[in-house]
Amino acid sequence: MPKTDYNEEMAFFVDMQRCIGCHACEMACAECETNGQESMIHVNYVDRAISTQTTVQVCMHCEDPTCANVCPADAIHQDDFGVVHSADTSRCIGCSNCVLACPFGVPKMQEQAELMMKCNMCYDRTSAGKKPMCATVCPSQALYYGTREEIERMRPDSVPVNSFLFGQQEVNTKVNIMMPKGTHQLIIE
Amino acid sequence: MSRLFRTLNRAAFFKALMASIVVVVLVLVGSRNLQNFDAALFAYLVGTVFAVFGIAYRYSVWLQRPPTRLYWKRSMQFLFSSMFFPYLYRSAKLFFRNILGQRFIAYRSRTRWIGHFMMATGCMLAFAITIPLTFGWINFELIPGDDVTYYAKIFGFQAFSFPLGSPMAFITFHGLVWCSILVTIGAAIMMRRRLTNGGLIATQTFSDDWLPLILLIAISITGLGISYDYTFLNGRTYQFMAVTHAVTVILFLVWLPFGKFFHIFQRVAQLGAKLYKTEGLRRGMAECPHTKKEFATKTHIEDLKKVSKKLGFDYSKKDGSNHLDLSPEGKRSALAKAHFEARKKSGKFFG
Amino acid sequence: MAKLPVSVDKIIEQYGPHKAYPPQGGFYGANEPDKLVKTHCCYCGMQCGIQLKVKDNKIAGFEPWMEFPFNEGRLCPKGVQRYMQNNHPDRLLSPIQRVEGKGFEPIGWEKAMDKTVSEIKRIQQTYGNDAFAMLSGVSLTNEKSYMIGKFARVALKTANLDYNGRLCMVSAGGGNKKAFGLDRSSNSWDDLAHAEVIIVAGANISETFPTLTHYIWRARDNGAKLIVVDPRVIPLARTADLHLPIRPGGDSALFGAMLKILVDNDWLDHDFIAKYTSGFEETIAAVKDYDLDWAEEQTGISKHLILEAATLWGKAKTSFLLHARGIEHHTKGVENVMSCINLVLATGRIGKPYCGYGTITGQGNGQGGREHGHKCDQLPGNRDITNPEHRKYISEVWGIDEKDMPGKGLTAYEQIEAIHRGEIKGMISICFNPLVSLPNNNLVREALEKLEFYVCIDTFLSETARHADIVMAGSLHEEEEGTVTTAEGRVVKINEAITPPHSARRDGEIIMEIADRLGAGDKFSFPSSEAIFNELRIASKGGTADYYGITYQKIEENMGIFWPCPSLDHPGTPRLWEDKKFKTPDGKAHFNPVKYRPAAEVTDKEYPVILTTGRVVSQYLSGTSTRRIGKLVDQYPEPLLEIHPKLAYQYGIENRDLVKVKTRRGEAQFPAHVVETIREDTVFIPYHWGGKFSANQLTIGSLDPMSKIPEFKVCACQLYPTEKKGSEHRTESAYQSWL
Repeated sequence: MPKTDYNEEMAFFVDMQRCIGCHACEMACAECETNGQESMIHVNYVDRAISTQTTVQVCMHCEDPTCANVCPADAIHQDDFGVVHSADTSRCIGCSNCVLACPFGVPKMQEQAELMMKCNMCYDRTSAGKKPMCATVCPSQALYYGTREEIERMRPDSVPVNSFLFGQQEVNTKVNIMMPKGTHQLIIE
Repeated sequence: MSRLFRTLNRAAFFKALMASIVVVVLVLVGSRNLQNFDAALFAYLVGTVFAVFGIAYRYSVWLQRPPTRLYWKRSMQFLFSSMFFPYLYRSAKLFFRNILGQRFIAYRSRTRWIGHFMMATGCMLAFAITIPLTFGWINFELIPGDDVTYYAKIFGFQAFSFPLGSPMAFITFHGLVWCSILVTIGAAIMMRRRLTNGGLIATQTFSDDWLPLILLIAISITGLGISYDYTFLNGRTYQFMAVTHAVTVILFLVWLPFGKFFHIFQRVAQLGAKLYKTEGLRRGMAECPHTKKEFATKTHIEDLKKVSKKLGFDYSKKDGSNHLDLSPEGKRSALAKAHFEARKKSGKFFG
Repeated sequence: MAKLPVSVDKIIEQYGPHKAYPPQGGFYGANEPDKLVKTHCCYCGMQCGIQLKVKDNKIAGFEPWMEFPFNEGRLCPKGVQRYMQNNHPDRLLSPIQRVEGKGFEPIGWEKAMDKTVSEIKRIQQTYGNDAFAMLSGVSLTNEKSYMIGKFARVALKTANLDYNGRLCMVSAGGGNKKAFGLDRSSNSWDDLAHAEVIIVAGANISETFPTLTHYIWRARDNGAKLIVVDPRVIPLARTADLHLPIRPGGDSALFGAMLKILVDNDWLDHDFIAKYTSGFEETIAAVKDYDLDWAEEQTGISKHLILEAATLWGKAKTSFLLHARGIEHHTKGVENVMSCINLVLATGRIGKPYCGYGTITGQGNGQGGREHGHKCDQLPGNRDITNPEHRKYISEVWGIDEKDMPGKGLTAYEQIEAIHRGEIKGMISICFNPLVSLPNNNLVREALEKLEFYVCIDTFLSETARHADIVMAGSLHEEEEGTVTTAEGRVVKINEAITPPHSARRDGEIIMEIADRLGAGDKFSFPSSEAIFNELRIASKGGTADYYGITYQKIEENMGIFWPCPSLDHPGTPRLWEDKKFKTPDGKAHFNPVKYRPAAEVTDKEYPVILTTGRVVSQYLSGTSTRRIGKLVDQYPEPLLEIHPKLAYQYGIENRDLVKVKTRRGEAQFPAHVVETIREDTVFIPYHWGGKFSANQLTIGSLDPMSKIPEFKVCACQLYPTEKKGSEHRTESAYQSWL
């Protein structure tokens, strides 16, 4: 990777119960220069008929990314900081394996361009020492980018968790989710 | 050295060896036992054979990876089915559109497509010209007694002829000049993008993104140098021009299997992916249990479950269902629901 | 003569609204802008700080402004897309004039000015000065608001000036003036951080003031209990400690009953009440019969929830009460506000750290715009136009004879009624789209059609402007320097990023030229926005909204100054009432007795369902600007009728069915959005759209007797399912994230 000011002290924290579903992150994501006006973050209602609950999903940057493993074209690269990058444009063959295999439902397929694109934690910004667009603008701070000490001080009732269990599969990630104190893993039945 | 042997992929090694031998045999046969082989191009031949070995080796290793292997198997299975002719026709069409024309890049950005198309077309034309020449499959001769007509021979058989000094001769003998111009302009467009686009600036690397462009321009410029030399300098700098050009080209050939240029060969897999989707659609769509909407082909979901398991990811659940049965939106909602439940259990929705 | 010159479709074809999107890869120069201009978002009273990227005198994008203390870079979707209002294909680039049968055609400024001034003169000479009215808006800066107040009185010499703040926070202003003698949120938002209990009443903060959410969440992280009063489970209410699903119109019953519980349990600050307030006895006497059974019946909220809310409020040591249009848009808007203030005063939790109260002003400059003489009854510094001393002071500042100062005029909706009756014949408007934002807009349209001459200053051809004889191409927020006052009372600086395109002009210059041509040029020779502000400082000096000590330089150095700021060495006042010296005549905070009374129109057998209106996160006010921004439109492309599944079942309505909604004023069709997040007896429609999508075809024009705010939040309706479905492609993006 090129010369970078990426700060390894900083981490990403998500708490979708704080999300107000405003889509500011989605609009801001498109402004990130690596995406060229395509938005990579997902905001959707969980079940609008019964609740205004929304969820917001950035790439969790798995320690061992399923997307990169199932990619037939070796197009998904994880850098030394653990950031899992968007598909290498010269390699991606637009097969959608990553889109369908990602346990968090993150990668997006650009059908006509036959290219997968995904959140790369605003690499243009984070590598320049800035915060990602989504976490910068998020008015509810459901998306937070900062140090572990900061988040622990600000949210005394919660603890960052970066382990998930989907069925039999444990997935550990770079991005954290804020959980009630005493939780070590989020189990998705 | 021992490490090299330990990590050597034997199957791939033998396939690569076979491919190299086939090339050598084709050179021998095509040049009529080296009768038409141009000894001046020997270094290029060595480079090419090495490149073939490397590409075949890497391609073979690549195909052994479970997801790639699956796509390969499925592509073959679907192509050689009762739908052979329609699928062949489709694939051929797509080959022109997406491999030769690279139209899909236009949807990423128009200028990017123009740049890439010029570069790719220049390269492919240049290969089409130089490989047969290097292999001695084509050669040009003046027949004694007729010193105004050039005769082109393919595999030693006379194919066509044209008068010396005719426009046809000019176009033919300057084929590589046209290629160089295309490649240079294309590479310049791509370089400009890399200098101005903030997203590219943030993520590019020298070896993967700049070196290939520099190398292509170097090949083009040194190649043009040869033409310049014999057109305007009467061959006074021929030695220098020829050597620098050979060095850049051989560097390119040797690097071909390892660096960015390998994508040229990988790109063909896009045809397989398309075929896979088409046949999958015919076989039926999978419906997401959360959104109740169709989102992918059943074949794809079932195949992915197997492939990911082979790779060490088991998303199956106790009740026999699988996390991968959910659409991307379904998965996101499942996560949000689980998070909500965890919060609820703690007694507070907010924390 | 102000009927549409051609069909509405033809006008839309030429002037929009069209959806604009950024080009693939962003605007030219977004990577390397010439400059970053620190300014604010124009789309609500929070006035979030933002930096606009400028390239070749065009806006190319934005960059978060991390240092601005209120939002520290945070923005809502409107803020993120705010830059898209510039470079817009619908933008008016020159004055245009109405041509019967052809639509509109561009004309030069000279001609536009000539025609306008001669028509003003003709109408005023024929029918009297007050027959020419002015409507203005509070998305304008303080400078423009002040100048328009002066323009109407000094140049136009009309009493009939009013503004769209009449639809916004006049009820809060009225209540605050009665209780405190001053109209401003009592605290800066920082006081939310450690409030133990927060009541949010009729304020859909998560959609209308999204960036304020962070302050509420921060308080909850510090242990605050959140109580949300709203007929719908708004996103803020979903995880709230208590959600009180109130029946629209029941607010003062709820707060009255809560006050009774405080009294019954002696959760009162007797010391504070005795020393610093008046009117307590009458006030509690007014609620003595408001027991829980009665309250449950009037509000539709279960008793235990009311009791729990009152208990939380009563026992807390610190607290913050916030309200917005939800309780203010009523014929008893002022009473609702006063019943909230009574809760605050009874517990004495004001003028101390983390003890606060305030209305959340909706419009961009809803706070500042309502202080400096923009209203029919007001003069700068929040002075009263009927008060002889106030008139005298301002006349001196303006250099006019006090006798020439017009008196109190009609309020916005009353002006429309007066036009309809034929009493007002001509109008000039700026920054106001009454055809979308006023209630009962069938009447508004008829009124506009009766005007003899109508000139409008705007940046886009709004629904109302389509009825104009002349539309003057004005300036956007980023095209003219000035100040605005945020909802917390912080005066901040709007910086000019670019100049208006082509022959569009700054609003201020347009107003000044008209004034000049009306013969008042000597009173309007401001060389800069700062010069206007400096006159405003003097005009506001000694008033309750005292800006005298605020200067441009001070604002920029401190990233905003809270008024009142009476002298140059004064640091400003983020928290009011720390000295307990209230601005009422007796210096005390006033309790005001509030007797509950029903809404103007209650449901009956004929019209059995309650209709309420409100907003969505992706749109701002009447949508003149935000309905032209592609991504915002796609987020919520059309108004939906929110309806509870039980009510929907009664009528055989399914999700996405097109439903005809009928009231005594009109009818319109909306696709049903069947959700459990609304009361069973109430339906909700957002109001940002015009024409056949306008919810205000249905709403009622009844006004609060004191504030003259219309009752947008309650009326009675009928529902008729049609056989049709709402169009599908629109749903996709209404419910889902766009791709």
